[in-house]
Amino acid sequence: MKLASVRPVALLLSRELAITALLLLGVSLVVFVVLYLSPGDPFSLLLEGQMVTAVAREGMRQALGVPRAWYTQYLLWLGNMLQGNFGTSIRTGLPVLNEIVRVGINTLYLTIGSMLVTLLVAVPIALSSARRGTTLLNWPFTMFAYVVSALPVFWLGYIVIYIFMHTFGLFPILFRFSRDQELGWLYFLLPIFVLGIGNGTISEVVRFLREEMGRVLAEDYIRTARAKGASIWAHSFKEGFLIPITEIIASKIPFILGGAVVVEQVFNWPGMGRMAWQAAQDRDYPVIMGIAIAAAILVRFGTLLQRVVYIMVNPRSS
Amino acid sequence: MRRYSQVSRHVPEYSELPFWKKAAPMELAYVAYGLLVLALVVASYILGAANLLPRDPQEMDLQLLMAPPGTAGHLLGTDFVGRDILSRLIVGIQAYFLPGLLAIAIALTLGTFFGVLAGYRGGRIDTAITYAANLIDSFPRLVLILLIVAAFKPDIYYIMAVVGLTNVPVLLSLIKGKIQFLKEKDFIEAAIAIGLKSRAIILKHILWYNCRTVLIIQATLGMAEAILIETSLSYLGFGVQEPTPSWGNMVQAGANYFMQGKFWPSTAPALAILITIMGFHLLGDGLNNILEGKRSS
Repeated sequence: MKLASVRPVALLLSRELAITALLLLGVSLVVFVVLYLSPGDPFSLLLEGQMVTAVAREGMRQALGVPRAWYTQYLLWLGNMLQGNFGTSIRTGLPVLNEIVRVGINTLYLTIGSMLVTLLVAVPIALSSARRGTTLLNWPFTMFAYVVSALPVFWLGYIVIYIFMHTFGLFPILFRFSRDQELGWLYFLLPIFVLGIGNGTISEVVRFLREEMGRVLAEDYIRTARAKGASIWAHSFKEGFLIPITEIIASKIPFILGGAVVVEQVFNWPGMGRMAWQAAQDRDYPVIMGIAIAAAILVRFGTLLQRVVYIMVNPRSS
Repeated sequence: MRRYSQVSRHVPEYSELPFWKKAAPMELAYVAYGLLVLALVVASYILGAANLLPRDPQEMDLQLLMAPPGTAGHLLGTDFVGRDILSRLIVGIQAYFLPGLLAIAIALTLGTFFGVLAGYRGGRIDTAITYAANLIDSFPRLVLILLIVAAFKPDIYYIMAVVGLTNVPVLLSLIKGKIQFLKEKDFIEAAIAIGLKSRAIILKHILWYNCRTVLIIQATLGMAEAILIETSLSYLGFGVQEPTPSWGNMVQAGANYFMQGKFWPSTAPALAILITIMGFHLLGDGLNNILEGKRSS
């Protein structure tokens, strides 16, 4: 590779930022189009119980200043959103952005915590079987990873609640968000543990990391390092661990967020997932739109971080 | 669906030995288990469609509410309105079979089509397709489904169409990677040199000879995905609705009795889900290792 073709890191990073911005623009368009195409319109709701004629509807539209063309509507909505105005919830009448920020913190605790749990379980299994091949010791753990990845996560949640209710005498009704209560930490840890084990990604993390680490360990430079007596771990760390692990974390963020919707429901955890569920029940458009966009921002942010790590480790890639 | 790191950079070598003679016994055991599960699923579908069940899955026996497993006439017991759990389990597969196939069909056709387009043409088309794939990947699947449910209606076919669509990016990137890799190979160059049409090269030499295993594996994993998604949605109340049985809504309905120590109405379907999804995962992984060749380390 010619040195001239290596582009500066700053340029690569700004390119990634531009791609992220462009994708988020696309995300907003998709969300808008889905809601635009949906049957029924808010005017029927506002004029409910009255004589609904086309004239009344038109009058309402003009009185509220709703533009006719879809792209004007979209740009207006986008402009509002960029100024931090995500609209107000139809059900509660509260501003959507504030609500999402309020409950989003809880979802972040849950998702980041459970991501750590997943990694704590998966990484040792993966590294052990990459290093030693399948052995009697790590095979049962690999199978365990397959089993928990196939479990419905809410059923796992019920089992855990049941066990804790019986052995510790804690009643599930108490699984509310209460830090100050005695054993408050348990209410935090249980959902995190359940989502971390049961989000269905453990077997994939094990598999991906094992393949990547195994591939790197078979490389010539590792053989050289081994011959020299140098640390194999230090030599294989970047390519065999850092890059695959950021890649798998970034690509699993959507799954964990999706799992959070279910786990928050099981444990009454007041997060974005429960809010999305409630909004879908009530057809509360502004909320579900806001959550879809917030989730997409989280996913894109994760991918951006992964790209940054990748570029830092290997600036030749573009 | 899963992305396999090694799949795209591999051309299977011609070998006199059939693949099952080269494979490790463990991989064969995985595949055998997976095929057994597949056979069970198909058999249950046929049994359910032909109405050959131990009992009528909708028949309520109010004398026998929550009968434990092993009760005479009810092998797996009865649920909270006295319906036979075994029959409902068998019929429950109906909820996944056709919708799941729809999801798989969407993912395979769109993924292959756009994958070929992006891989074979490259350039601007590739950029546009990659952008669209990244766009789909930006949404958590469950959030996207909730959005669709809020906007339209909680219909299982809508939901499975979304599942199919969200699986397109994985397939697309696999097919694209494979084609970009194969395009440089001598045999494709030779095919162009002897004047074969692009259509013949793509359909026969690339897709049929080199991508069919990828498609089979992804179809297997797609079924597992469809079942898991339907289960989560049933739990959330947006999946298949009672009284039509699906494994998801059976677990959900039974879970209310879990806290009273009556575990069987939710455990039986949960185990069915566990066994089936593990079967599809192991089938996919086993086939992948056997047919696509695991990197020897």
